[in-house]
Amino acid sequence: MSVRLAFQICTYLLILDGLAALALAGLIEPAWWPFIILVVMASWLHEEVRARVTAVVQHRQLLTILAVGFFALDLLYLAESLLDGFVHVLLFALFYKLYTRRTLRDSRDLLLLAFFMLVAASALTMSVGFLFILLVFLLLGTWTFMLYHVMSESEQNAPDQAAAVIESRDLVTPSLLGLSVAASLASFLFTALFFFVIPRVGQAALPLRARLGQMVTGFSDRVELGAFGTLQTDATVVMRVEFPDGPADPEGLEGLRWRGVAFDHFTGRVWSVTHAERRMVPRTGGGQAALARPRGTGLLITQAIYLEPIGSEVLFAAPWLLGVTVSGGPVWVDALGAVTSPVPQARLRYRALSELELPARRPSGTVRPLAEEERARYLQLPLLSPRIPALAREVTRQTPDQWAAALRLTHHLKTTLRYSLELKRTPGVEPLEDFLFVTRSGNCEYFASSLAVLLRSLGIPARVVNGFQRGEWNPYGGYFTVRQRDAHSWVEAWTPERGWMTLDPSPRAEFDAAWASSSTFQYLDALRMRWHRYVVSWSLGDQLRASWQVRQQALAWRRAFFDGGLSFPGGKRGAAIAVGAVMGLAAALFLWRRGIPLAPGPVRRPATVPVYERMLKRLARRGLRPGRGETAREFCLRVAADLPEVRATVEEITRIYEAVRFGGAAIAPDELARLGQRVATF
Amino acid sequence: MLMTSLELIRRLEFNVARALVGKPEVVRLAVIGLLARGHLLIEDVPGVGKTTLAHALARSLGVGFQRIQFTSDLLPSDILGVSIYDGKTGEFVFKPGPLFSNIVLADEINRTTPKTQSSLLEAMNEYQVSLDHHTYPLPRPFMVLATQNPLEYQGTHPLPESQLDRFLLKIRIGYPGRSDEKEILKGVGATALERLEPVLTAEEVTDLQAATEKVRVEEALLDYVMAVVEATRRSPLLALGVSPRGALALLRAAQAHALVDGREYAVPDDIKRLAVPALAHRVMVKARLERAAGGELETEAIIDALLQEIPVPR
Repeated sequence: MSVRLAFQICTYLLILDGLAALALAGLIEPAWWPFIILVVMASWLHEEVRARVTAVVQHRQLLTILAVGFFALDLLYLAESLLDGFVHVLLFALFYKLYTRRTLRDSRDLLLLAFFMLVAASALTMSVGFLFILLVFLLLGTWTFMLYHVMSESEQNAPDQAAAVIESRDLVTPSLLGLSVAASLASFLFTALFFFVIPRVGQAALPLRARLGQMVTGFSDRVELGAFGTLQTDATVVMRVEFPDGPADPEGLEGLRWRGVAFDHFTGRVWSVTHAERRMVPRTGGGQAALARPRGTGLLITQAIYLEPIGSEVLFAAPWLLGVTVSGGPVWVDALGAVTSPVPQARLRYRALSELELPARRPSGTVRPLAEEERARYLQLPLLSPRIPALAREVTRQTPDQWAAALRLTHHLKTTLRYSLELKRTPGVEPLEDFLFVTRSGNCEYFASSLAVLLRSLGIPARVVNGFQRGEWNPYGGYFTVRQRDAHSWVEAWTPERGWMTLDPSPRAEFDAAWASSSTFQYLDALRMRWHRYVVSWSLGDQLRASWQVRQQALAWRRAFFDGGLSFPGGKRGAAIAVGAVMGLAAALFLWRRGIPLAPGPVRRPATVPVYERMLKRLARRGLRPGRGETAREFCLRVAADLPEVRATVEEITRIYEAVRFGGAAIAPDELARLGQRVATF
Repeated sequence: MLMTSLELIRRLEFNVARALVGKPEVVRLAVIGLLARGHLLIEDVPGVGKTTLAHALARSLGVGFQRIQFTSDLLPSDILGVSIYDGKTGEFVFKPGPLFSNIVLADEINRTTPKTQSSLLEAMNEYQVSLDHHTYPLPRPFMVLATQNPLEYQGTHPLPESQLDRFLLKIRIGYPGRSDEKEILKGVGATALERLEPVLTAEEVTDLQAATEKVRVEEALLDYVMAVVEATRRSPLLALGVSPRGALALLRAAQAHALVDGREYAVPDDIKRLAVPALAHRVMVKARLERAAGGELETEAIIDALLQEIPVPR
């Protein structure tokens, strides 16, 4: 491949890479992709095109003026955002350059445009795909700039030989490619180091073009029955939850779910919040917004939650939430315990401290009685069919207290009704009555609403809570993946014995078993999570924490060292591994310095001399091929005897071939080019 | 370095060639044997200059030279030396034999008994002589030039395989060309031999030998040597293939050939060119195939044929 061709291919690949970045960031509508790619690829043949359409190029000035006018208008009025306008300008400049390029300088401008496309996309995308696009850009970019350098230097320093160099096929070798790959990987690692070390300031993800994801229904202050219906087949990831401080086996935690909003008022079809006003939660010294005190109902766990943009301000966390830490915005809470935070970030990362609730364990201390006004709110009932209170009374006959009655009702719903996503409604029958007595099947909303209504009819204060169930455990990343289909409703009931407790009447456990993800998906998802955790949302706080940990570890080692007994994390085995690794490295370095090959066998590819290969091809066309046992010299003698006119060239090339192949010599490129021209005359 | 090596080699070749008229190829092989720290077996009919070659080489080097005429009654002690009782000190004193020299010409080596022939084994391989519980190192450089006459059978003892394997190269001289023979008749060579002056010191010889070892050999060439050696072991015509010592000899000889050719790296041609002189005397033709006329010649032809079939590294 000649230098010119390699350079052109690389330039186009870089442009495609830049376009891919724009597409990834959503800056190019999918409908436009084929058109753009077609225009770019067609420009490969632009010399021929230009020869035919000279008129367009003649009116270059006019075209420029028109474009400037249009883009001024576009930036100010037409484009969705300023960035979109800039992308339009970029694309126009790209096309313009592609079709008018003539000199090497134009090609360099194209490379710059590709780079700008990448920059534009980087401001928006948080996808891990960007990492691959960036890597491709780095690899190709280094390679392209090497070729560019070769071409521009030869044009400047030896204009008469430049054409020969640019068309030379001997320069584009695998070793040059290997060198550029090594150089780009080294620069990537180097800059990655800087990325993690240089202090990060400001927002990790700028809301330049905050386009919210699909609005997730069910988390506003008014929810109609059946709102979850469409959600529950959607596998879009809503959030990921990890447990930075343990427990060791989060998968084994019982009754884990993510509480969102609660509702107290029911009309028979719609749940809503009567007092929508929220209060701001004061922060403690550590930046944590404290919400409640532990009641002694179970384990305290800290969750680190990565919330995808779902168009809601609600902060989800395991019940019962004790405190939450969000960087940036304030934290609000409403009377029903729904926590919200209006943080203008596309993705939200926060930490929550919760106290889990074990049904077997009674809260310690006295239960604070409900105020009369509160009690009335949680006992509000719409007009009901008399069958519903009758059912409640029948199920809870002979229960000793309200808590036992609540458990009995929950159990009854769980065992006698069927869970289904197919919501068939009988016309003319109230939804709950239809669910309880006619269809006898429905989704979690119906189960939760029914339980709340049944409890209220018995005089037990209750409210419906919308949130997400636990989700799927990702063993690679060590976190729960929560999807839209995990959206869930359950009930919280207040009893004099225990205060507010969670009751979940939906029998959906077996129903969800069918949804298990493949391990490939889980692995990719873990990669995505890490990308988001360690790159996109890598913050000053993370840096401080990391450097503090490094310092602590170093101090601990130093202390241990001076105390005599060096201890490693992982005990003696860890120490042995560390010492072994250091010694192995030292040995490898020693061998390498001494020139002893680290791997056995013929690893090194023999040096090839392309000009010799080409000479052999040319000679083969004239019927001269080296025999099986014929050495290069013997062949050279035979050729000299048969074709005396090429003798001098063949002898010279054979000598060079031997020196390179067996003597490890290097040849000057200009000599190669000279020989290449002479071979061409064979 | 290369230039001075080449200059020294050329000087040596030129000097020897003055005595051995018209045989530059043979002179070159002798020099290769010297550079590769090997021993030479010069074999041909009487009167073609075997002894002249050995003599000329020895004289061209400013080193010690001994000639041993091998006869049927020669004993190992005649070559290696002997411990003699010293009446004054009352101890045995070692009197080194003619082998304790730099260049040793073992003339008509096949005329002596296998017992005496074998006394050379240790000296040729390990450059030392073990006698009476003592080991005496030989001077460096040390080289044995042996001659033998292939046509004589009466009263000769053909060299055993183990002994043959010790020789790096076996050289045939052959009859000189017509014009060269005329020169010989004019007495050019004979007078030249007497007037030969040393052109290389012992130190320069060891330097050249060191330079030979540094000649670069690509991995592919090692594979090529292996292919040649394995071909002799697999050949249906041969009863005995080349030993690993033979493979090493071929490699060393090829390195020396590269240096003599003025290169610091070996090429396939070096190996191909040296394969016959370095290997032919190490292999044995199967008995039933051997012809009375010249088993020796046949091994050379077999190896030559093998070389045409083995793919050359490219």
